[in-house]
Amino acid sequence: MHKENNERQQRFLFLALAFAGILTGCATTNGGNENNDPAEPGNRVVYDINENLDKYFIKPVAEKYVEYTPKFMRTGITNFYDNLTYPNVILNDFLQGKVKQGFSDLGRLTINTVCGVGGFFDLATKWGVPRHYEDFGQTLGVWGMGEVAYLVLPLKGPNSVRDAPDLATSTLINPLFYIVSPVTIPVGILGALNERAKHLETTRLRDEAALDPYTFTREAYRQKRINDIYDGNPPGQGLDEFIEGKEENGVLIVE
Amino acid sequence: MNFISLFYRLAVLSFFAFQAAFSAGALEPSSVVDKLHLSLLETMKKADQLGYSGRYRNLDPVVRSVFDFPSIAQIVVGRYWKDFSEGQRTSFVETFTKLSVATYASRFDDYSNEEFRQVAEDKLKEERVLIKTELKKSNGEVVQLNYVLQPKGNQWKIVNVIANGVSDLSLKRADYTAVLRDKGYDALMAMLNEKIAHYTKPGGNQT
Repeated sequence: MHKENNERQQRFLFLALAFAGILTGCATTNGGNENNDPAEPGNRVVYDINENLDKYFIKPVAEKYVEYTPKFMRTGITNFYDNLTYPNVILNDFLQGKVKQGFSDLGRLTINTVCGVGGFFDLATKWGVPRHYEDFGQTLGVWGMGEVAYLVLPLKGPNSVRDAPDLATSTLINPLFYIVSPVTIPVGILGALNERAKHLETTRLRDEAALDPYTFTREAYRQKRINDIYDGNPPGQGLDEFIEGKEENGVLIVE
Repeated sequence: MNFISLFYRLAVLSFFAFQAAFSAGALEPSSVVDKLHLSLLETMKKADQLGYSGRYRNLDPVVRSVFDFPSIAQIVVGRYWKDFSEGQRTSFVETFTKLSVATYASRFDDYSNEEFRQVAEDKLKEERVLIKTELKKSNGEVVQLNYVLQPKGNQWKIVNVIANGVSDLSLKRADYTAVLRDKGYDALMAMLNEKIAHYTKPGGNQT
């Protein structure tokens, strides 16, 4: 029991330090530049390390994982992890004032945990209780917080000052965090691998299309987050900010 | 009937004649999007027998006719457009157009019961229209595809595609201007041509 408490304290301390590091890192680098990416030089270094790790280690393993596990098993594993992290969705439903959605998601968690054998089967979707995607970064966005600055986190990848605190809330609310057992680590690794495997096609398309993958990823991440915050209906889809640039001698100037 | 009244009648008449010509010749915004989707579906269904070059040939005239590439190309390079010479502008627009067709030809390379569905049409500012559609994949996954169209000449043309909230125009603008800022025009053109070559060459995405 003592040992458990100690370990938990250590993990808290680690998270707190990591979070403090993120905040101070931003405070010192937030000079502001045209891309709202004041930490770009540092971000690019982390991005390159992440990319290399991915290219030579994580992606090949994820590809083998897809090759050797049947689809239904991967779907089950995805469902299991979605269910495990679902309390974070419910918490953020309520924090954003989406009370009806919150109760629906609570029902979803119950259905899938109880009838879906600990979350492996997503019966709730079949029964008309849909999956929602909410997290603490979106909550802060709904509350009016901007991105502040783009960040690339080691291993985790694209992120931002607004979205990083979710790492703390989602970890603290994940039941895995409180289970001290030798299986937690392999279960965690399987989760990460499964997550990477889901994005193999996305990253392939990115590599095919991107000229400067760092910029491409940053822009895609930002837009996806705005889309998430506005639940799929972001304002300004007319892209007036591009098209209504000023004209000079018949040439459209877009700043 | 005096001269002024005759002139007035003629003016009104020619106005209606112009209106009629516009509406007879031009497709509605939603039909423009349909035209693209139909062409994509047709190409996907025959993907294997056509091969990459066949798909390219099929899609080329349609993609060119439904997208407003001169406007798109100008927007994606942002403020760098004004530094381009006339010749650079022409070849950039053409290379960009080719890359767009090549991307479609490469990505829509098989058919597994995908369906396109129009969901809604919204009016935007400045005569622009947003057509909301969905691409339903065989595994049930739904991709939201929204198209922004604007009138060009007497036709509606697509200026942006927003897939699941990610705007192609913004993505390319960030990407292209980063290259222009760091490496310049020639490097950008070289990279675009390399992408086209990658799609074309055997073992690229040619099937």
